[in-house]
Amino acid sequence: MIGFLARRFATIPLVVLGVVTILFIIFKSVPGDEAAFVAGATATQAEIEAVRVQLGLDRPLIDQYARHMSGLVVGDFGYSTTFRGNPLPHIVNRLPATLALALAAICLTIIAGIPAGVVAAAYRNRIPDYLISLTVVGLLAIPNFWLGMLLIAWLSVDLGLLPSFGASGPASLVIPTLALAARLIALVARMTRGVVIEELRKDYVRTARAKGLSKGLVLRRHVLRNVMIPTVTVIGLQAGYLLGGSVVIERLCAWPGIGDLLLTAVSVRDYTLVQGIVLIFVVSFLIINIAVEVLYRFVNPRLRYA
Amino acid sequence: MKRRQFLTGAAGAALLSAMPMSGIRAWAQGASGVITYGQSTAVLTLDPAHGAFTGYPGGYEAALLIFDRLLDFDADMTIVPQLAESFTMSEDLQSCELKLRSGVTFHDGTPCDAAAVKFNIERMMNKDINTTNRPLWNPISGADVVDATTVVIRTSAPFAQLPNTLAHGSGAIVSPAAIEKYGEDGFAQNPVGAGPYMVESFDPGQELTLKAFDDYWGGKPGASGVVFKFIAEPATRINALTTGAVDVIDSVPVQLVAQLEGNSEIEVVRRPGLRPIGLAMNLTRPALSDVKVRMALNLAVPVATIAEKVFFGFAKAPDSPLAFDAIGHKSINETVYDPEQAKALLKEAGYVEGSDGIVEKDGAKLSLSLYAPEGLFPGDVAVAEIVTASLKQVGVDVQITKIEKGGYWDHLRQDQANLAWELGMFGFNPSNASGTYHLASLFKSNADDSTKPDVWNIGRYRNAEVDALLKTADTAPDEAARMDALGKAQELIWADAPYLWLQINENVSAVRKAVTGVSVMPIVFTNLRAAAKS
Repeated sequence: MIGFLARRFATIPLVVLGVVTILFIIFKSVPGDEAAFVAGATATQAEIEAVRVQLGLDRPLIDQYARHMSGLVVGDFGYSTTFRGNPLPHIVNRLPATLALALAAICLTIIAGIPAGVVAAAYRNRIPDYLISLTVVGLLAIPNFWLGMLLIAWLSVDLGLLPSFGASGPASLVIPTLALAARLIALVARMTRGVVIEELRKDYVRTARAKGLSKGLVLRRHVLRNVMIPTVTVIGLQAGYLLGGSVVIERLCAWPGIGDLLLTAVSVRDYTLVQGIVLIFVVSFLIINIAVEVLYRFVNPRLRYA
Repeated sequence: MKRRQFLTGAAGAALLSAMPMSGIRAWAQGASGVITYGQSTAVLTLDPAHGAFTGYPGGYEAALLIFDRLLDFDADMTIVPQLAESFTMSEDLQSCELKLRSGVTFHDGTPCDAAAVKFNIERMMNKDINTTNRPLWNPISGADVVDATTVVIRTSAPFAQLPNTLAHGSGAIVSPAAIEKYGEDGFAQNPVGAGPYMVESFDPGQELTLKAFDDYWGGKPGASGVVFKFIAEPATRINALTTGAVDVIDSVPVQLVAQLEGNSEIEVVRRPGLRPIGLAMNLTRPALSDVKVRMALNLAVPVATIAEKVFFGFAKAPDSPLAFDAIGHKSINETVYDPEQAKALLKEAGYVEGSDGIVEKDGAKLSLSLYAPEGLFPGDVAVAEIVTASLKQVGVDVQITKIEKGGYWDHLRQDQANLAWELGMFGFNPSNASGTYHLASLFKSNADDSTKPDVWNIGRYRNAEVDALLKTADTAPDEAARMDALGKAQELIWADAPYLWLQINENVSAVRKAVTGVSVMPIVFTNLRAAAKS
């Protein structure tokens, strides 16, 4: 296990190096003069040039790249015009809100998606199955930002039950979590249904039933354990999607996470901040992937001795 | 431990520990007398130097409450006293003597006296410290302390706009002790001023909490605190206002105003802005160097209809190169929509209708490239499309190029050889409200037309008479003479039509009726200085 973790973590710097280099190239080649943007709409040409020198944008590219890389090694992400300095502490400050939202969405997916799939499979081609499958199709089709707006209009504006925006206590987590998790719940429910139906056909189920176990007991004790393996895989693969989806939902719900900060950074053209946030996204994604692999070994003992 | 227990426990613990602390803090707010303002732009930095208050306009709106300035603009953009009780410009317009209020202190208890003012003026003069708003500060050459409540500010040349600079947002007076304490880099996150509200907590890009400054010279402010919350999404802002989670919102999209107008608890506050939108004409192109063609283009576009239909009446057609509330604005002429007259003018200019309905001269079709940004100006693309259709009616072919807003300024502001457009959508917001500053930025001849423009004379307009009038408007000792020159400059520019003038948009905010005294200033800002909550 330790050797496995060590090997996995050893790949992170390599991936990060590649990502940082690609980001650097992208941001140097996008249209738009960073210095002109920072100097503002009323700046004269002379002021723009002064800002260019101040930000070091007049230096040769290779020089800028070298400074960028050597800064990153010591945790200096560069000069963010938004925060007048190293943006790293501000990005880290925003990370908990994004993680809370992603975790809440994953929990909700586990709580709602798996049971829904099992129920649909157990009542295959009967009314509960039809209702669940219809809902699943609906949730897959609705874009999450639109669902978010509907939820705000209904739960917050009409009924006054929940805050309409921001992070003001646990209640404000409800709407963004629902909007973010909807698609994932539907995916997991649909997949669970398929896997359970398949498992129920297998020999061990017939054997268990034959030796006198009730249908419910077979489902809980035998079938579910086998269903967990593909389910964890799907949820793990989708955890990255949650980080991306959270950008839209965070903006819609004014949720103070790094997705919302990313859009702010883009709108004020703070390239340093954008690069920093994308880097944090990438590192988070890599760590989540490793965590999923660890979890995978936990729910599937066969892998541990492989 | 069973797997199931492990999973539930781990997820729950992580969830709890990850709840942001600011969330818990925000939950405790909502005490009476605290005004919550849902802003469309985030407050990021609060220092008049080092790039000024950001984001725009959110940072300036917060600065209005935290900092006092020597002078202020009232609702009609007239200059009135603030920290200075009175001011006198010298005859030669090269210095200004200011009498300060006595006994004023900053939030940190240090005195806001003549020495503090001198420190501030010298800080803003320093090009290394203050990189933005340079045209406002460049003319200033020094400040002298006469006594504890008297300061003289000197300029290197006659500078009639000095009071505008002092009343501008960047004229915010900061505490020298706080600069000493937090350093030039740290002040923007730890601002200390002498305004009616002081900072309680500041989470840049997210939330700023202010509380009333009890020792404010002007008496206790109208609210016990003001909270600025960043809500970027317009629909979310409107929902927050409707549910009462916030008391004030800015930047209400005009197509959504109707939603709020039916609500008896909400009042819509509106004010025409200082930024006239128009299409700058590239005067280096032969076709557009003919004033008849330029006038024809102006006659062919139904500007008043655009204001009425595209902006639901929340915009007006201009009557001068300056917006209505700019200082020195003079109403020259209403915009006229007369396509027949436009066609006649094109004919006079030598253009005849070709077989495909497009006019041509010497075999060359009158075909213009129009550059418009997406989402930089209100309704920019929609307006560009209407302009295109209208010009087609009089036989002018226009091709729209939409530019991503981040790269847009680059395309406008180019060396002459690289100018790819004939018509470029542009609007200038004179942040000090000075009409002279506005016209000089857009219409003063460039030193060299072949390189990038000095400021924003992107179309290479050149009129020696206008240059002379603008110099008079900036430097004449007599105010009436300055205004007169500015009026004449507006007449000349209007007649030369170097722009296809479009519309002046209104700034629209909305306020819950429990809050009074919120105003929208022509320079975009929603001002909460005089706001009170019952």
